[in-house]
Amino acid sequence: MKRYDLIVVGAGPSGLSAAIEAAKRGLGVVVFDENEKPGGQLFKQIHKFFGSKEHKAKIRGFVIGEQLLKEADEAGVEVVLNATVIGLYQEKEVVVRIGEEIRRMKGDAIIIATGAAENMVTFEGWTLPGVIGAGAAQTMMNLHGVRPGKKILMLGSGNVGLVVSFQLLQCGCEVVALVDAAPKIGGYGVHAAKVARTGVPFYLSHTIVKAEGDECVTGVTIAEIDDKFQFIPGTEKHFDVDTICLAVGLSPMSQLLKMAGCKMEDNPRRGGQAPICDGYGRTSVDGIFAVGDVSGIEEASSAMIEGRMAGIAAAEYLGYIGKEEMEESLKSLDQALDGLRQGMFAPKNRGKNIEKTEEGIPVSASLLKRGFVAEDEIGRFPGVTRKSGVHPVMECTQNIPCNPCQDACPKNCIRIGEKITSLPVVDESATCIGCGMCVASCSGQAIFLVDEGYGEGCASVTIPYEFLPLPEVGQKGVALGRDGKEVCKAEVVSVKSIPAFDKTNLLTIKVPREYGMKARFFKKEVS
Amino acid sequence: MGNCADVVIVGGGIIGCSTAYYLAKQGVSVIVLEGSDHIGNGGSSRNGGGVRQSGRDPRELPLAMFGIKNFWPTLSEELEVDCEYHQDGNLRLGKTEKHKEILEGLTSRAAAVGLDVRMIDGDEVRRINPYLSKEVTCASWCPTDGHANPLATTLGFYKMARRMGARFITGEKVAGLKKVKGSVRKVITEQNTYEGETVVLAAGLASRKLAATVGIDVPMQPVMLEALVTEAEPHMFDQMLGTAEADFYGHQTKHGSFVFGGSSGLEGFTKDDTALQANYSLTAPCICRGIMKYFPDLADAKIVRTWAGWMDKCADGVPVLGRAEETPGLVLACGFSGHGFGIAPVVGNQLAELVVTGKTQVDISALRYDRFRAKI
Amino acid sequence: MGQVNDRSRDIGAFVEAPDDDMVICRCEEITKGEIRRAVHDGMFTLTEVRRYLRTGMGLCQGQTCAKLVKGIVARELGVSPAELEPATSRAPMRPIEMRVFANEAKEGE
Repeated sequence: MKRYDLIVVGAGPSGLSAAIEAAKRGLGVVVFDENEKPGGQLFKQIHKFFGSKEHKAKIRGFVIGEQLLKEADEAGVEVVLNATVIGLYQEKEVVVRIGEEIRRMKGDAIIIATGAAENMVTFEGWTLPGVIGAGAAQTMMNLHGVRPGKKILMLGSGNVGLVVSFQLLQCGCEVVALVDAAPKIGGYGVHAAKVARTGVPFYLSHTIVKAEGDECVTGVTIAEIDDKFQFIPGTEKHFDVDTICLAVGLSPMSQLLKMAGCKMEDNPRRGGQAPICDGYGRTSVDGIFAVGDVSGIEEASSAMIEGRMAGIAAAEYLGYIGKEEMEESLKSLDQALDGLRQGMFAPKNRGKNIEKTEEGIPVSASLLKRGFVAEDEIGRFPGVTRKSGVHPVMECTQNIPCNPCQDACPKNCIRIGEKITSLPVVDESATCIGCGMCVASCSGQAIFLVDEGYGEGCASVTIPYEFLPLPEVGQKGVALGRDGKEVCKAEVVSVKSIPAFDKTNLLTIKVPREYGMKARFFKKEVS
Repeated sequence: MGNCADVVIVGGGIIGCSTAYYLAKQGVSVIVLEGSDHIGNGGSSRNGGGVRQSGRDPRELPLAMFGIKNFWPTLSEELEVDCEYHQDGNLRLGKTEKHKEILEGLTSRAAAVGLDVRMIDGDEVRRINPYLSKEVTCASWCPTDGHANPLATTLGFYKMARRMGARFITGEKVAGLKKVKGSVRKVITEQNTYEGETVVLAAGLASRKLAATVGIDVPMQPVMLEALVTEAEPHMFDQMLGTAEADFYGHQTKHGSFVFGGSSGLEGFTKDDTALQANYSLTAPCICRGIMKYFPDLADAKIVRTWAGWMDKCADGVPVLGRAEETPGLVLACGFSGHGFGIAPVVGNQLAELVVTGKTQVDISALRYDRFRAKI
Repeated sequence: MGQVNDRSRDIGAFVEAPDDDMVICRCEEITKGEIRRAVHDGMFTLTEVRRYLRTGMGLCQGQTCAKLVKGIVARELGVSPAELEPATSRAPMRPIEMRVFANEAKEGE
């Protein structure tokens, strides 16, 4: 029987990372993936990732996918696509369907990186065509170029719900509302803010009463719920929609591990049934490892590091490297992973009510409830300053592990410091030249350039803009506030798109001076 | 609730559940102890669903015939669950001369006991089931055989027994039995002790080590059997199917899916880990190849699940049933050897009768526990 | 799991609910009411519910409904969903045509 040193199941971020590290250390590695394209969810991720510059921050997900594939190829990893692993049998035997036949083979080590599946929620009409998962919507948009619907309601305010809502807007859908049963937005505030400023209303402590329609979805009714998750009568709101998108969490696809006899636990903090494993993905069965979402739902950035760790641990397990070499290799990864698991959204903080930032600043209640920082709150954050001349305004108000902005500024105007989760601070002594590198570098689209002395009683506001078609210089429209409501008339005075911005266009608009600290989005049509 | 009852049944499979049901129906108090987390977790939920008389050993045939006549036709109503019982006959298929000999032997022995079963040729086989391939050259045909849904039937017995007051406790691992003043009365579990006037041992494979705690040995061994199920397909046929060498069996369920069991040839030599009940990677493909030879039309049907289970194979292939006279208080019901499902209702009923009246309507003396003899 | 589970313990009476008609397992078209009734009929584990009703036994193998069924059963029993052991994982992980499952690649190919 064919035998490999290492068989990896799943060619997503964690599986590929594991395969790369193992192959680099001399293991014969094969990776199976049931999809026709590798990369897992990475190729659906068109947004820029958070993190540190050492770990792919501000790089768009699909580009990371391309980089990983190249790295895997260089390391000599064999990636077999359209290959469905149908079982993990005793003695680490893998049975895989490839084309019209099955192949049986063994791995001296196995790394399971099968990812996760989307959760569903039930409500009247949930089985109607038009109710889809957020992942399905992403697949339609970003892999197949198909618009999922025209008018869409999104349920779920975690990062998936927020990111996909923004992508739906980008592909020309109208997102009528973003709804979550929780009383607070679950995902990053900056992701919420970029959706809110386009005018999408957030309904927290709300959920879907029913999907309407006979043959397919034609509308939806939501209502407010009390703290016992019961509908409050009289709070119903109706929307005409053709699509309801569900982003209500993910569950590990851990069936192969269970089949192999790995000890499992049902842990809501890990998203459901997941294998019990140590920090390097070792399960209870000798030589079987689990990495990425299948071992607990997390971000792709941490999945890639976990994958690398398991690849190294597998190399040690099979004697390709010694313990010391393993420990040496793991050290920097440990640190990186630790860095990513810091801040308000760290796994250890899940479910906790965080009232103040690490700097001791009260968090924005409006951001958590309505998706944007209120006007009377924004001034208390260290990135938000006013001075004469053009300068960055960084509306970054939560401690998340991300720091590309401080390296983006050629004039060192922005400081985060050693701790990657610290809020960015404006260095008053440095002089902004208005280059916009910081605006384009911010994965959260939370940095703006403001010049309140633009002339003729006007202010200029430079905003990150990722919608097509791009407005033209001279185009008139309205400026929207953080809350997505019209604040004043506006005119486009500059549109910049250079390769270094990586498709985050910089749109500079002119608004009356008093709106310089209020205008945060531009809308072409005057409604 | 106390831990005493008239009868303590060790084993919550279909034998334990049906015995509990017929006892509870007569007002007898019953406690059923199941070691696993689920009712019906052994062979009861892993078998092919055959409700057959043909192909059985003459020693257990009377039970099977009595059960098919008196219990199966009304079981769904009795248990208030759709047992999906079909009495549309059993074809036991043959392809070779050797198969024909085996089938003729089985047929003549069964006919001698009064069963309506006969040999038919390949053409007649295909008149009954037009989907069978030309490879089939003969079969035994028993029109009163059939099949049912083992999951629904097992859990139906459980549901009704529970409704009538039988107490079921799962996750209660029995460590041994204990005599009191010469009679088996106590059932010792890891955490508790239960007590009954009668103890029924219906614990499948585990029965051997439990019987040993009161000095009785039932010669049986574990043999792994595997099965698979397809997605729902349009209705094709209603017969139960088997083969001369018993290497393949199955039927189409009411749901439309096909349930097929089969073997790889390594049965009896698989790794002995009774907890895992893990499939062997080479068995399901082998079953698929076997099915396709009989039913070429099923080649595109999708397999959705495979599973494995241990059969408690008795030395002579028929169960051990009845009281162990030398050990009062103990009733044995084990060693069903892979064909216990079809006779489970009648076995439960007869054991209940045995406990209550001391007698059974069907003579089960040939299934006594002390029947085993050396060959010379 | 592996805990002593007395099936005679009182879980209260079955009370009809307005959403009992809602389909939960789409593959096998099993409703919430059927699942709740099964619990009251004594099906205290997800495995038993599955065997009794066929929830999660369809083409998707419970990918969609497993968590939903779990929530309903847990609520009916008055326990946390995490206390309920999910059903066994069985090969094949994806439905596979019989002719393909039967077709093992020859060694050395």
